[in-house]
Amino acid sequence: MARTSNEAGAGTGRLARRRRQLRDFVDETEPEALVTVGVMAVSLLAALAGFLAVSPLTIVPFVVFLGSAGYGWARHQGLTARVLTFSMMVSTILILLLITVFIFVESLPVIQYESVTVSGITVPGLRLFTQTQWDAVSPPVRYSMIPMIHGTVMVTLIATAIAAPLGIAAALFLSEIAPPVVREVIKPGVEILAGIPSIVYGFIGFTILSPWAADQFRTTGQGTYLFVGIVVGLMALPTVVSVAEDALSSVPESMKSGSLAMGTTDWQTMTSITLPAAFSGVSAAVLLGVGRAIGETMAATVMLRGVPQLTEPLYNVFYGQATLTSLIANNYGEADGLQMDALFVAGVILFITVLVISIGAQYIEWRMRRKFGGDV
Amino acid sequence: MAGATEGDLVTGGTSQTNAVAAGAVGLAVLLFALALAALFEAITISEPVAGVPVVTLLGLILMALGGAVITFGVGSYLGYVETEPSPSAGLVAATAFSTIWFVIGGLVASQTAGLGSLGSFLVASVVGGGTFALTALPREDIGSTLPAGALTLLTGIVFVTGTIGPSWVWALGFEQQASFTAEFVIPVLTLLCALISGWAAAKAYGGFGARGRHIGAYVLVYVNAGAIIGVLFVLIAFTTLRGVPGLLTGFEFGPGVGPEVGLFGVSVALPFSLPFVMNGAALLNDFQGVLPAIVGTVWLVIGAVVFAVPLGVGAAIFLTEYAERGRLTQAVEVATNGLWSTPSIVFGLFGFAFLVPRFGGNKSLISGMLTLGFMLLPLVLITSREAILAVPDEYRDASAALGVSKWQTIRSVVIPAALPGVVTGVILGVGRIAGETAPILLTMTGGTFVPGGQTVDVIGGFQFTGAPPFVANPELLQATTALPFQLYALITAGVGLGDTVANPADFQWATALILLVVVLSFYAIGIGARYYFRRRLQS
Repeated sequence: MARTSNEAGAGTGRLARRRRQLRDFVDETEPEALVTVGVMAVSLLAALAGFLAVSPLTIVPFVVFLGSAGYGWARHQGLTARVLTFSMMVSTILILLLITVFIFVESLPVIQYESVTVSGITVPGLRLFTQTQWDAVSPPVRYSMIPMIHGTVMVTLIATAIAAPLGIAAALFLSEIAPPVVREVIKPGVEILAGIPSIVYGFIGFTILSPWAADQFRTTGQGTYLFVGIVVGLMALPTVVSVAEDALSSVPESMKSGSLAMGTTDWQTMTSITLPAAFSGVSAAVLLGVGRAIGETMAATVMLRGVPQLTEPLYNVFYGQATLTSLIANNYGEADGLQMDALFVAGVILFITVLVISIGAQYIEWRMRRKFGGDV
Repeated sequence: MAGATEGDLVTGGTSQTNAVAAGAVGLAVLLFALALAALFEAITISEPVAGVPVVTLLGLILMALGGAVITFGVGSYLGYVETEPSPSAGLVAATAFSTIWFVIGGLVASQTAGLGSLGSFLVASVVGGGTFALTALPREDIGSTLPAGALTLLTGIVFVTGTIGPSWVWALGFEQQASFTAEFVIPVLTLLCALISGWAAAKAYGGFGARGRHIGAYVLVYVNAGAIIGVLFVLIAFTTLRGVPGLLTGFEFGPGVGPEVGLFGVSVALPFSLPFVMNGAALLNDFQGVLPAIVGTVWLVIGAVVFAVPLGVGAAIFLTEYAERGRLTQAVEVATNGLWSTPSIVFGLFGFAFLVPRFGGNKSLISGMLTLGFMLLPLVLITSREAILAVPDEYRDASAALGVSKWQTIRSVVIPAALPGVVTGVILGVGRIAGETAPILLTMTGGTFVPGGQTVDVIGGFQFTGAPPFVANPELLQATTALPFQLYALITAGVGLGDTVANPADFQWATALILLVVVLSFYAIGIGARYYFRRRLQS
């Protein structure tokens, strides 16, 4: 209790300081500049509101904003620049909020449709996860997310099994082992690997790997989670390499030299000093790679069968049905109404999962930076 | 750090007994290459080479390799070879070996001996546990060579005796049927054995102990790095090889064969003609092309850059120069990183729900531009922020000491100093979004084949109207096509493709090649710019 009131006290203190700062700011600034900034802010907000409300008049406040910004730029450049850059910074948060709100709102109808009453309480969206049938055409129309979650998990597991060990080994190579000349070749190489568009990977997978795999494993038709996982792992690899390399190079040189001075080999220093010290950063790298693998769309879409059902048996990696991402890319064309909303549910699941992973990775990295006393 | 432990003293001590270990490493390399060739079907495992079937040949080499590894290990244990083994091979090696042998034991028990699941689990546990003890308990020279050598020897025997022959198939008995075939299993097993025995041999070559482990680990790490570059090279070379025929269809070289190009009112006929990138698709065309898709991609990128770069750079400036660290800046950082990892298809959904209804309700070029802009924004912000943070504080202090205002300092000192980093980051970011398919799938896709006449012309499309919003640009509000989408559409079009283009496969590969060229040239420019700026900074 005492603590909360303390915190409240601190909060009001901060609020008071803010208010004082604001008052000082208003006192020190010329009235004309204040008016300009005020007009800018109001018109920008009005333009945003107009855009959100799908108004054709959005252009009016926007032009007012441009005009006032132009005037402010000519007369009070410093202040205008500050206000402009501030609004730009806020817009990044705004975009994330807008994404969250809009995909949630669109997914609401199907969450309502798939409600289940459990012992008198209606749980919205529960049936999305309690049965495994996806059927958008013939009644009963059901939108289960289970098959797609299963597909995403399979692909992500295989991809991580590829990307994590190979990525960490490559990061070790780049940061600790490679002679400078080799590093200058391989680092851009890894970057270019990240640059190859996913549809090109998908195309090669579709035309070369899928037929080959169907032939080798004697499956009925083409499309296996195994090869999608391998391709997606290759695509997640550069993320793991670059983040893990940053983590490894952030280990202070003095720690490594100290170990080497004891007469250890390079490899002993890596396994007993560098890797343990950078462990949290390396795990953040793997996490981010997992996030990449979960969100990978085009390669999965063209290489999988696109039939939303579970494989038989569940661990049968030689058949690939659909992932959350490929579901959206496959069905957006003919979908409308509830089915389109169901695609948004898949988007919400993806978005939340990846956001949680990203925040987790950031927390881990933040802790690591604090450990080495760098600037946080 | 590299090379710190490789003195002449140590390497000079290599005796000729190590020739066995070196020979084993060579055999492993040979096997590795053979297995890769078999996997890519450069050699067929059922056909004989010099009278010996390839499988038998592989088996014989495997047996030789396994034998060499075991011989060296036992020789070292008995003191015939001078080594410095540690007391144990370590838990990592023990875990890896016991996992492999657990699987082998289980498979043999259940498939060959026909035991039930409990029986085979027991057998597998005994074999796995035995391997664990064999690896972890004895001295390192035994622990790290015997399990590896035995695995290789066993595989070799299985190949030579024909237990796994060219026509071997193992139906897994799944409800959705799948089988392991010899064409897959033989190369993969050979690869695995070559890697493991190669590691053990390299370790032996180093005389076990700390130095042996160092060499063994380095072999694996170098193989890994080489494999990554190899995959990259194969991907690009393969796409190029397959794409060039389609790209050069109808290529002509000579004065006046190309299309007319107008510049400053002077119209010149190009001295070459490359229909694939100069034509659209039309019924009467001699050669079909993808010009509308290329132009569409260019406009997409321009739109995204115009939207995201000012926003991202401005936000980065406020974040680094003005803002005090607090809740807000932390929120911005979390939001930026969150946006960076958001899957591209989610951006597509967002564009579909948010932008499409606000730009006339149809899929349109401007929706695609903005969606890609949203994707580019976090990349620009992160790289600009890093570039601005890298500007030394002395610059700012020196400028402030001259009595220059904060904004003037930012404008004339900080931004110019940070510009190289920002430009490089933007170019690399553009390379990434130029190849994105998923976001534009839901926001701006047009048809598969777009006639050359429908190539977008954004600048010529602006017009003023009487009603709000007073400015209209039908070109921006129309759906068009882009290279990545074109490739996707070509893949999904499947059989129907043959009606429009003479050689569908060539056309697809050529599209993939053009997309790769466009995207990778952004990367080449970005990486090149980074080198240029870094060198200039150093000199």
